[in-house]
Amino acid sequence: MSNNAVSLYLDPQIRDWVLFPITLVMILVGILRHYVVILLQSPPKKLPRAAIREQRALVRSQILRTTSTNSPIPESFYKSISQNLSQAFEAGTYLKDGPPKADAPSTPPNPLSDPNAMDGMMAGMKTQMVMMVPQMIIMGWINFFFQGFVLIKLPFPLTLGFKSMLQRGIETPDMDVRWVSSLSWYFLNFFGLNGLYRLILGGDNAADASRDMASPFAAGVPQAPGQAQDYSKLLKAEKDNLELAEGLYSWVGKDVEQRVLRRYGKLPPS
Amino acid sequence: MDLPSALQKLSTFRARNTRASQETFDKGLVVLKGNGLKKLGDESWSFLEQLALAAIDVGRLDIADRCLQLLTDKFPGSPRLDCLHGIRKEVTESPAAVLLYYGKLLQADPVNVALWKRKISVLRRIGRIDEAVAELIELLDTFYTDVEGWLELVDMYCSVHQYISSLQSLSHVLLLAPQNPFHVLRFAETAYTAGDIPLAMKSFLNVIDMADADEDAPAEQVPSGFTIRAWFGIKQCACRLQRERITSPSQTAVPEHVQLFDELATERLKTVYAGRDKSDKEATEVLEWLARV
Repeated sequence: MSNNAVSLYLDPQIRDWVLFPITLVMILVGILRHYVVILLQSPPKKLPRAAIREQRALVRSQILRTTSTNSPIPESFYKSISQNLSQAFEAGTYLKDGPPKADAPSTPPNPLSDPNAMDGMMAGMKTQMVMMVPQMIIMGWINFFFQGFVLIKLPFPLTLGFKSMLQRGIETPDMDVRWVSSLSWYFLNFFGLNGLYRLILGGDNAADASRDMASPFAAGVPQAPGQAQDYSKLLKAEKDNLELAEGLYSWVGKDVEQRVLRRYGKLPPS
Repeated sequence: MDLPSALQKLSTFRARNTRASQETFDKGLVVLKGNGLKKLGDESWSFLEQLALAAIDVGRLDIADRCLQLLTDKFPGSPRLDCLHGIRKEVTESPAAVLLYYGKLLQADPVNVALWKRKISVLRRIGRIDEAVAELIELLDTFYTDVEGWLELVDMYCSVHQYISSLQSLSHVLLLAPQNPFHVLRFAETAYTAGDIPLAMKSFLNVIDMADADEDAPAEQVPSGFTIRAWFGIKQCACRLQRERITSPSQTAVPEHVQLFDELATERLKTVYAGRDKSDKEATEVLEWLARV
C-alpha cells in the first residue's frame, strides 16, 4: 500500500492558499511579537545606592579572601581590612535597611509583598501573554479551517518514527511519512523559524516563541524573582569565611628576599 | 588626510581610551566636514561623544556644542549626555554652578557613577579636598571594585601628605589588581615617603620579584623600565637601613641580607648605566652617586 503514495495529488491551490499563508502569518506574527515585546519592556529598575552597597558587600570580602594565601598586602593592612569587614558584617552596617533590630521577626520577606519583585514578575507574565495569545489564535485558526489537510511532501524519505511528528491531525496508518499535515507544518514553523528571525531582526530578538516554551517564567526576568536574598544571613556566613582566610593569610613579600637573592645567584639555591 | 584613515585612527583611539585630544580633534573635524557621520552609522554617536570631549579639551567650544546638539537631538534625557553637558559647563561656568548642576542630577539618580566622579573632580579642582575625599570614600564604599577611584583617592591623600591613608587606599588597589607591578611600585614608593623603610624595601623587592618571575637568568639581563626605579628604591632603602635605626609603623620585619641587597642593587644599576656614553651626564651622575654611598 505504501508504494502507491505517489498517487496522492495535491491541489496547487492548497499550496497557494494554505501552505504559504500559514508560513507567512507565522513569520509576521513573530515579527509583530518582537516589536510588541520591545514596547512592553519597561526599563530596568534603578537600584538605590544602599541596595547596591548591600549587594556588593560580599564581593569586598571575596576579593580579600581570594588572594589571602599569597596576599599582595602586608599583614597589618590585611588584618585591619579583614577585621573591619568582620565587624561590619556582624553589626549589619552594609544592610540596606540598616542594622537589624533585636526583636524583628527573622522570617524572609514574602516576595509577593515586595512591589519591585512584583514588577519583575508582571514583566515576565506580559511577554508570556504576548507569546501565548497569538499562538493560540493561529493554532485555532489552522485547526478550524485546515484540519486534516496535507500540505507538502518532503523531498526525502523518512522512517515511520516521524509519523506522529509530521502527520499530526491525520489518523492514517498507511500514508507515506513524507506527507506533512497542516498542524505539523504549524509546529515545524513554530520551532524552526528562529533562524529566519535572526536573519531579519538580528541576534537577540524576542520573536522566537519556542524559546519561551522551553523555560516558562524565565523570560524577561533575569533572576528568579521569588528568591529574595537574605543578606543578613549571607553576611554572617561570610564572616566565618573571613576568619578562615585570616588563618591562611601569608604575605607575598614574606620571604621575597631569599627568592630574589637566589634568582640573582647571591644565595645558594635551597 | 583622507576619511577612511581618520575613521580607522579614531576607532582605535576609542577602543583604547586614548586621550590624544588635538589629534582626535583634527581627525574628527575631517570626519565631520567630510560627511563621515552617515558612513559611521550607529557608531557615529560614540564618535560624536569622543569629538565633543576632544573639542572641549582643545578649547574649540563651537565644535563641542555642535556635537552636543546632535547628540541631544538623538538621545534626549540620556544620563551619559548629562555627564557630557556637565563637562561642557565646567569650561565656562563657575564651579559652584556646576556643582549645583551635578548635585541636582545626582539627587535624581544617586547611582550615576560618572556624574558622581565628575562632581568629585570638580571638588578637588577647586581645592575642597576634604569634601572630595569624603565623597570618594562614599563612592568606593558602594562601588568597591573601582580601581581608578581608589587610585584617585591615593593621589588625593598624597597631595595632602597623608601617606599612611594613601598606603591604606593603595592596599585596596593591590587587592583589586594584584597582577600589576606598577601599583606595587607605587605602594613601595609611598611607603618610603611615609618613612616605613622596611615595608618599602620589601615592596620594592616584590616589584623585582614580579618583574623577573618569568625570566630564566635575570642576572644577565639589563634592568629596564620600572625595574630600574625599583632597584634605585632598594639601594636607597638598603643604605638607610644600614645607617639608621629604623622602626616600621606597620610592624614589618626588617629585611634580611641588607648588605647583600646593597651590593646587588649597586651591581644592577651599574649594568644599566656603565654601558652608556661618557657624555651622558645622567649616567655619570648616577655612577658617581653609586660610588659615593
